[in-house]
Amino acid sequence: MAISFEQIEQHLKTEALKLLESGKVILVLAYGRGYDANHPMPYVAKHPSDVDNIVFNEYCTANLARYLTRYPRRTKIAIAVKAADSRAVVQLIQEDKVCREDLVVLGIPVYGMKNFKTGEVIDSKTTGGLYNPVLYDILLGEEVHGQPVSSPYDVLAAYEAMDKEERWAFWQRELGRCIRCYACRKACPMCYCDPCFIDQNKPKWGEKSPESPGNLMYHLTRFHHLAGRCIDCGECSRACPVDIPLYLFHKKVAKDCEEMFGQAAGMSIGDKPVLVNFRVDDSDKILE
Amino acid sequence: MSRIGVFVCHCGLNIAKTVRVSELAEFAATLPDVVVAKDYKFMCSTPGQEMIANDIKEHRLDRVIVTACSPLMHEQTFRKVLAASGLNQYLLSIVNIREQVSWVTHDIDEGTAKAKALLNGAVRRARLLAPLTSRVIDVNSDVLVVGGGIAGIQAALELANTGKKVYLVEKNSTIGGHMAQFDKTFPTLDCSACILTPKMDSVLQHKNIQLMTSCEVSEVKGFVGNFDITIRQKARYVDHTKCNACLACTEKCPGKGVSEWDEGLVKRKAIYIPFPQAVPQKPVIDRDACTFFKKGKCRLCEKVCEQKAIDFEQQDTFTTVKVGAVIVATGYDLMDTRSLIQYGYGKYPGVYNALEVERLFNSAGPTGGKVTLRDGKEPQAIAILHCIGSRDKNNYEHCSRVCCMYSLKFAHLFKEKTSADVYQFYIDMRAAGKGYEEFYNRIIEEDVKFIRGKGARVAQSADEPDRLVVEAEDTITGKFIKLPVDMVVLSPAIIPRGDAKDVARLFNLSTDKYGFFMERHPKLAPLSTMSEGVFIAGVCQSPKDIPDTVAQAYGAAAEALTIVVKDKLELEATTAMVNPASCCACQNCVRVCPYGAPFFNETKGVSEINEALCKGCGLCASVCPPSAIIARHFTNDQVLAEMEGLLEF
Repeated sequence: MAISFEQIEQHLKTEALKLLESGKVILVLAYGRGYDANHPMPYVAKHPSDVDNIVFNEYCTANLARYLTRYPRRTKIAIAVKAADSRAVVQLIQEDKVCREDLVVLGIPVYGMKNFKTGEVIDSKTTGGLYNPVLYDILLGEEVHGQPVSSPYDVLAAYEAMDKEERWAFWQRELGRCIRCYACRKACPMCYCDPCFIDQNKPKWGEKSPESPGNLMYHLTRFHHLAGRCIDCGECSRACPVDIPLYLFHKKVAKDCEEMFGQAAGMSIGDKPVLVNFRVDDSDKILE
Repeated sequence: MSRIGVFVCHCGLNIAKTVRVSELAEFAATLPDVVVAKDYKFMCSTPGQEMIANDIKEHRLDRVIVTACSPLMHEQTFRKVLAASGLNQYLLSIVNIREQVSWVTHDIDEGTAKAKALLNGAVRRARLLAPLTSRVIDVNSDVLVVGGGIAGIQAALELANTGKKVYLVEKNSTIGGHMAQFDKTFPTLDCSACILTPKMDSVLQHKNIQLMTSCEVSEVKGFVGNFDITIRQKARYVDHTKCNACLACTEKCPGKGVSEWDEGLVKRKAIYIPFPQAVPQKPVIDRDACTFFKKGKCRLCEKVCEQKAIDFEQQDTFTTVKVGAVIVATGYDLMDTRSLIQYGYGKYPGVYNALEVERLFNSAGPTGGKVTLRDGKEPQAIAILHCIGSRDKNNYEHCSRVCCMYSLKFAHLFKEKTSADVYQFYIDMRAAGKGYEEFYNRIIEEDVKFIRGKGARVAQSADEPDRLVVEAEDTITGKFIKLPVDMVVLSPAIIPRGDAKDVARLFNLSTDKYGFFMERHPKLAPLSTMSEGVFIAGVCQSPKDIPDTVAQAYGAAAEALTIVVKDKLELEATTAMVNPASCCACQNCVRVCPYGAPFFNETKGVSEINEALCKGCGLCASVCPPSAIIARHFTNDQVLAEMEGLLEF
């Protein structure tokens, strides 16, 4: 059964309207029209009359969990989430950045989402075989079954074939192109530090001009700040104006982390953030 | 601009042998802000200290760097010099060029180069050091003793006699530990129970000791002087406040459990006291053996109990006690020798381990003190095998220290109680202790046969199927021997308790490679641990005999007392603080802190640190993504400056 984006949009509108009218939430994080239909934008519906502006199509890739941490704690929010986005919500709940009871999670079971720049279907790259949200209160449609299940780490094959020197050269080359627009950090739901370490002056952790080694310092540190936390939505890579494949590093770290500690980020609100939760039987492989 | 003085110590030849100290001092003089640099033979000596004090005055120094041994040795010494000279003691920096440089190389060029790099880093950091003020806290005068064996008992009694309140926590239903299982003690052969039970009783009677049996420590919070210890009282299903120890219940109980006390050689009731002199002498119910818990009906004990003390509904309860110091005396286990299949333990009924044999000798034991095999026969030949699993590279390399002596004791008791021939299979005899060599000579005279050679294998005899054969190489004659015997006694390696790792984690203790708790210094601080205010005594530190264990218990009690006699304690000023403007409220600090110092302030939406609990370990600062946490004395600026200095060189 092909997925109907119109149906999802209709469900989204109906539920948003109900929630806003009943006063259960004061805002709904969803998508609205951008400068054309192929470039939808995040949209915050605050009044029942805003609901008409909500859209949903295959280009609605943005991870709206990004916006949860912008509102004060205890704000009642409804949020539309796809599979990876729901993991971001779960991870934020684990980190106690948002409270489960303040959220109404509108789950979107979906596949066939497309990169708005290239039109390429992103399922195999960043949804990693997940089509249904891992957490939701209201499911907008029916759970997806029968789609190909791929490992989230399959796309790493070419990267992992490189040896240490090649990887270092690869990242020097790729990160050397960074223009330090910080779109990656803006798009990332887990990048909520304010100020970010790279913006600090005392101590100055890295140069701010768009050149190495400041670029390396920024990205390598950011990669590690996201270790065990990246939920693989791929938004950093899609937001990047110079198309640096940031997701490769995040996935590699996520894979190592999952292999070592047996826990992927944002899968269950009962989990504890894996890298700051010590267990006596934790793997010591990280020290080797 | 700061005015730094650098003082390079020779430590006799300890440092001077592999670091060109005068060259290091000349190098120091060239570094920025260094106004005086000197080297001296022993900086920690009185003339050395005076030299520093004079230079502080003469050169108006505001930072002092001493390049010498580990700060664990003399940081306090030099801090006092600064304080006496009117400088804040935190303006001192120690560069460890002994343990970290001269002792790890033979090459004087390498050593000098590394010392220069370390010093270069230290100078960069010293320029950014800030004066800090130590904190003074109140001290709780109570002490927790964990483990009710002879070490714990002795330590508790000593402390209680000084008037301090002691909580003695024991996980079993009685105190006494392994010593209470023994029959006689070497080398004097006095009866173990006769010397131990009066002490056990004193513990029970002592007004300053709160005895907590069937209890385990489940959580430790706080720090030296102010520990908050949560103790789990395991359900006993008998209300000990009501029980009058008539023991009618233990007579009627139809349940059967395995007697841990008698090393599993016999059964005991499901409601039981482990042995007649148990303290407290009140029964507990073994849930796994109890007919009611297994089948849902019985309750015979409840029916016969006139005091209505049986309570099948009892649950584990938790209490929190506040103490100033802790003594850990958790003892040991014997290695499970079933894994050494060549010795047939668990396979041949004639093979015993040492603790089982202790019980056979004991008049309160399973055989009433008669030495009989599992089939009731008296053994005609007995082999005692030393070093089973210990002094063995494949298992435990350490010597278990007491086996030679208790094996001699066994030989004596076998001779006394049976007419058997007794053979000792030993690698070499270790009898270092007061009266031990004399005891060894005495046993030699008692017609015990000594075979110098480790028992290699125990097998079933081919000719007489109910006998065993011990195979070994007699290293004196160089011959391989096969000796038929009826009974084999293994002296297994003494190893840490199975849950020693959990205990170590609770109290932040480090362990050696076998799992024994590490002392702060093997010679000069043998009872202290790296966790301040936590002391260790007895075999949980390393295998030792009863005299040494008791001596350690006295020592640990004295150590604990040095803390709890004080009203106030000065704590390091090196704590962490949060810059709320940068805090991203990720709460990583709250999650990683082993001391529970950071907490999340929901109103302000930022983390804060309770400095009274902070030990300054810096873990929170290292996991803080926006570096909002400042670890005083190790700020990011200071550490980065030091690293730049190191890498620049």
